[in-house]
Amino acid sequence: MSELLSNLALGFGVAFSPMNILFCLLGALVGTLVGVLPGIGTVATIAMLLPITFGLPPVGALIMLAGIYYGAQYGGSTTSVLVNIPGEATSVITCLDGHQMARQGRAGAALAIAAIGSFFAGCVATVLVAALGAPLTSLALLFGPAEYFSLMVLGLIFAVVLAKGSVLKAIAMVMTGLLMSMVGSDLETGAGRMTFDIAELADGIGFTNIAMGVFGFAEIIRNLELPEESRDIVSAKVTGLMPTRKDLIDSSGAIARGTLLGSLLGILPGGGAVIASFAAYTFEKRIAKDPSRFGKGAIQGVAAPESANNAAAQTAFIPLLTLGIPPNAVMALMVGAMTIHGIVPGPQVMTKQPELFWGMIASMWIGNLMLIIINLPLVGVWVTLLRVPYRLLFPSIIVFCCIGIYSINNSPTDVMISAMYGVFGYWLIKHDFEAAPMLLGFVLGPLMEENLRRAMLIARGDATVFFTRPISGGLLAVAILLLVLAVLPMIRKRREEVFVE
Amino acid sequence: MAEDVQPSRNTPHVDEPLTDRLKGGVIITVIALLLVLATFYISNPTVPRVMAILTGVVGVAVIAGLVPVRGPQDFYGGLALVLFGTFALIASAELPGQRGFAFGPGTAPRLFAMILALVGAAVAVIGALSDGPRIEKYKIYGPALVIIGISLFATLIRPFGLVFATYLAFLVSIMGSKEMKWVESLIAAAAMTLGCVLLFVYLLNLPFQLWPQANAPQLLLNQFADLFKSIFAMLAKLIPGLN
Repeated sequence: MSELLSNLALGFGVAFSPMNILFCLLGALVGTLVGVLPGIGTVATIAMLLPITFGLPPVGALIMLAGIYYGAQYGGSTTSVLVNIPGEATSVITCLDGHQMARQGRAGAALAIAAIGSFFAGCVATVLVAALGAPLTSLALLFGPAEYFSLMVLGLIFAVVLAKGSVLKAIAMVMTGLLMSMVGSDLETGAGRMTFDIAELADGIGFTNIAMGVFGFAEIIRNLELPEESRDIVSAKVTGLMPTRKDLIDSSGAIARGTLLGSLLGILPGGGAVIASFAAYTFEKRIAKDPSRFGKGAIQGVAAPESANNAAAQTAFIPLLTLGIPPNAVMALMVGAMTIHGIVPGPQVMTKQPELFWGMIASMWIGNLMLIIINLPLVGVWVTLLRVPYRLLFPSIIVFCCIGIYSINNSPTDVMISAMYGVFGYWLIKHDFEAAPMLLGFVLGPLMEENLRRAMLIARGDATVFFTRPISGGLLAVAILLLVLAVLPMIRKRREEVFVE
Repeated sequence: MAEDVQPSRNTPHVDEPLTDRLKGGVIITVIALLLVLATFYISNPTVPRVMAILTGVVGVAVIAGLVPVRGPQDFYGGLALVLFGTFALIASAELPGQRGFAFGPGTAPRLFAMILALVGAAVAVIGALSDGPRIEKYKIYGPALVIIGISLFATLIRPFGLVFATYLAFLVSIMGSKEMKWVESLIAAAAMTLGCVLLFVYLLNLPFQLWPQANAPQLLLNQFADLFKSIFAMLAKLIPGLN
């Protein structure tokens, strides 16, 4: 315990330097500004703003990135509430009740509860990250390639099980993502794989290109064909920013449960903020005395998912910092940013660069504080920004995304690849395939392959190694159990349908 | 893939109408045939060729009305994934496979491609057997203009600089909206361009070309020449007599 405190003290010592606070504030501000724009998700925001941080010292850069991350998260909720367009996947669920509250003239209360819930979740998660960091790092030493592989399988299965639609289709999407991640040079032999001798594909398909295409461009194309009234902007004045005492009492339980659920799901690879928000909302609805209030402006329906996604956003750093595995797309970008600054994420970060590790954890808390400070007074500004009609907003987002993609590598080809992924994403939407499992498969692909190859080599080609090693076998058993649990009710339902016929 | 389907979600359907079946079946069959042809350029063609032929047969059966497609969205989606897996098998066919205990570069791609094709087939089978939603109608106009706008940006950014690329990409993509108004759009495009220049070039200090380079038209032509050259090189590989 005292060690935890001294570590946190070290972290706050680093993060509280005026420069780092400034970076954090700036990050949160810019993150919110971009995150508020509908159609630009967390991933796209970070990808776009990544170049700004290149010139900073490593600690400052990572702190700023963390600020951008939380800002983008919160900005997404703002659009969900005000315009009913989720800024990103994590706040999709917030639309349901948040926008209804806004229509009833309670946008202020919804936004404030989201901020308060996020802040509470952030505080808890910060302590959790600090407390779990050390033990998990020692656990990482027990992990061989087989265990890493099984852990990632578990993560992907989680993503599959918790995806919206059919389990089978989600698995298909994971496979598609894995396959796309194989394009480019082979890690071990350097052989070009599935590149068709196109020079631009030699380094593989850029992660940001896929993310921007499938989430940015495809969503815009999709929004264009929706009827006008489904993306209306709340024209009523946002009055009464502060939630009433009743709101606070009503939502306190939801905030606590959301935080708990979010913290747990965030740690698991593949869990992440998106799933956490969905799970928290479903859970609240299930335990509510009157579930029919949900979807009609229940404050719990805003508080729970917002707390959950923020807690998960934060605990998602745990697998990255301790095991070196990016549990979701955003963390994969963080890996990219860390590598640019010469930091290899993994168990050694904590021992070799304690200031960086603990500084970042402390900055998470500061970032959350910044969000409250920035957002409560600035809600009015975001609202005016959203008054811009969609017909003017969407081309702005498109050119902004184009410039963002181009700025990463100064490559026009990247922009074209994103455009193609936009078309692909449009096709996915038409066939009701979910893009999130695909993206996660794409992110985990190279790591999975590397560990699979290594494990097979060490075991001399014996594939049973994944089941005979205790930790690995345990992880896989959980994965299989999850899958069975997810598939069983579906089979039962289908049978019932057959009987009805 | 543009299976155009008339939206009539409210009316219950037993079987899909003839036009949907024709469009979906023809698209599947044509792609499968192309993949069969592609297998003649690789060294281990048996597995992907069989897969492509089987999918092609399914496509023909759909056209002939022998397959009762009850959930078109899943059925065609699954078949497309089978074709995608087959394509990946063909694309990774030349990579060396397992040697002793060690995976080769081709092992994992082929493994995942096979799994994808199997899962895709399962999705398609379920789509054929159980009732599911129809495929929504694909819009062409809006999406096409958005994509053209993005492509325009990609082509213009190097030779003509940020200002022109942004302005034109904005104008073209805004035409994808039905509510577009000319005067407003021209002004908004200018404002957005100004904003982007201020943000990216002056605030973030990114090394962008702002205005057209001296030999911009020449550079633009060179870009197209390079593109055609690489397309030609690829074709030359497929058709031996072309060179």
